[in-house]
Amino acid sequence: MMFQEVWNPVIIGLFLWFAGIAGMGSVAYALMKLGKVEEKTKELSCVVFASIVLALVFVVADLSRPLNMPLAIIRSVLSGTFFYKLSTSWMTIGISLLSILLLLALLVLLRETVAKGLQKIVDAKWYLVLTGFVGFMVVIYSGFLIADAPGVPFWNNSLIPVLWILSASICAIAVLKILVHKPEVSNFLTKSGLAVDIAEAVALASLLNVSLYSGVEAARRSAEALVAGELAAAFWLLVVLVGVAVPMVLGFMLLRKEDRRLALLAAACALVGALALRILVLQAGIFLELSL
Amino acid sequence: MRLAHLWDQSRCIGCGACIAACNAANYRSTTKDNPTWGGVQTNIKRIVFDLKEKPYILLVQCQHCENAPCVAVCPTGASYIDRDGLVKINPDLCIGCKYCMTACPYGMRWLDPDFGLPEKCMGETCQSRVKAGLMPVCVTVCPAGARAFGDLDDPNSEVNKRLKKGRVVRLLEYKGTRPKFFVVVGR
Ligand code: SF4
Ligand code: SF4
Repeated sequence: MMFQEVWNPVIIGLFLWFAGIAGMGSVAYALMKLGKVEEKTKELSCVVFASIVLALVFVVADLSRPLNMPLAIIRSVLSGTFFYKLSTSWMTIGISLLSILLLLALLVLLRETVAKGLQKIVDAKWYLVLTGFVGFMVVIYSGFLIADAPGVPFWNNSLIPVLWILSASICAIAVLKILVHKPEVSNFLTKSGLAVDIAEAVALASLLNVSLYSGVEAARRSAEALVAGELAAAFWLLVVLVGVAVPMVLGFMLLRKEDRRLALLAAACALVGALALRILVLQAGIFLELSL
Repeated sequence: MRLAHLWDQSRCIGCGACIAACNAANYRSTTKDNPTWGGVQTNIKRIVFDLKEKPYILLVQCQHCENAPCVAVCPTGASYIDRDGLVKINPDLCIGCKYCMTACPYGMRWLDPDFGLPEKCMGETCQSRVKAGLMPVCVTVCPAGARAFGDLDDPNSEVNKRLKKGRVVRLLEYKGTRPKFFVVVGR
């Protein structure tokens, strides 16, 4: 079995995971502020900002020419090519979105911590809507980035962005669950978490099913590696059991009665599962085969 | 101008002279490994199909696609289609994101371990040769005349002459890449 070795699955997996947390975390922050929920917004702003920084650290860590990056991007911007590339490359879109979100989240962090004076701008409706929108776009980008790679059929699938949005939403809900203590909010998070868990399970099953039976050999081999091959043990244990089944069972238990320790366990499991999902999907990538 | 490669499977004797020449001309005969494909550092990949009934080989390289996914996904414009129709890389603009490598449906890019640059046909020496009106080295050294290179827009080019005579296939055409690498499979 020759899995792709172009992108390091752990490094890029961590990048996609942090990008998802930052993106959906921004959406959650915006929704909370717009809904006048003030609990733990400071902590959430720290998580979002740290996640973007870490996402950037990991994506740069996998570049093969990191030292050339600043000049190359400046040259591309100055020649105007970068702006044209926004219409064809998800990587160009991603670089732009992550830079914008970094700035937006930095101001949010400052407003929540040391520079309360920024309130006028950061608490404005347009700013919150923009932050939520850019955050959502970052999540979409993190899915399309790999779905737009025609060399690897298992990734080149429209279900990947859907799965990524659902999984990033699960991460954001998990982060909020860890932060927020209020029973009403916790209960709301449990309910939404359960709904997204179920949707993610369906999306995951669809991705595997389509890949197994689409007739594209490389995609079939990737899906097989996850379901019953070299990656199956990690997939069933970390993605299915820890990432989907345990949070779902705990979610149903929490619906009956909120319990802080169980909620923390469910959140931690969901976060681990989301990371494992990204790493394993990247690892399972197999290049298209040539023949006459 | 739309420069294109042709490889005649029915004439190829599998001697590997084109592979060795590419390594010598474009990669200074380095004996270092190709970390992506294995084997030597060269832009031509040999794929052996060991089918019991009918074993065959394919020698493939960058297809210089007219609708090139590697060019589309490149964030900075480092990968681009030149006026001569060849897909080239500008090292000054390359950040080493390797997106072009995951986007190429043919797997025709490999990563240079020293410079972190995604390499592919044509190497720099061959580009200079073409500019000077010469053929790429693989075409020049082939002892069986299995290779041709030329302009698809020129009706008298060697590529066009051979295209008229042979039975020709293009690889993964259904991907919509409009490859400019022609494989002659018979007459
Ligand atoms: S074969 Fe691959 S590297 Fe060459 S132009 Fe087509 S997509 Fe790009
Ligand atoms: S590795 Fe270089 S040439 Fe390839 S997509 Fe990235 S910037 Fe472009």
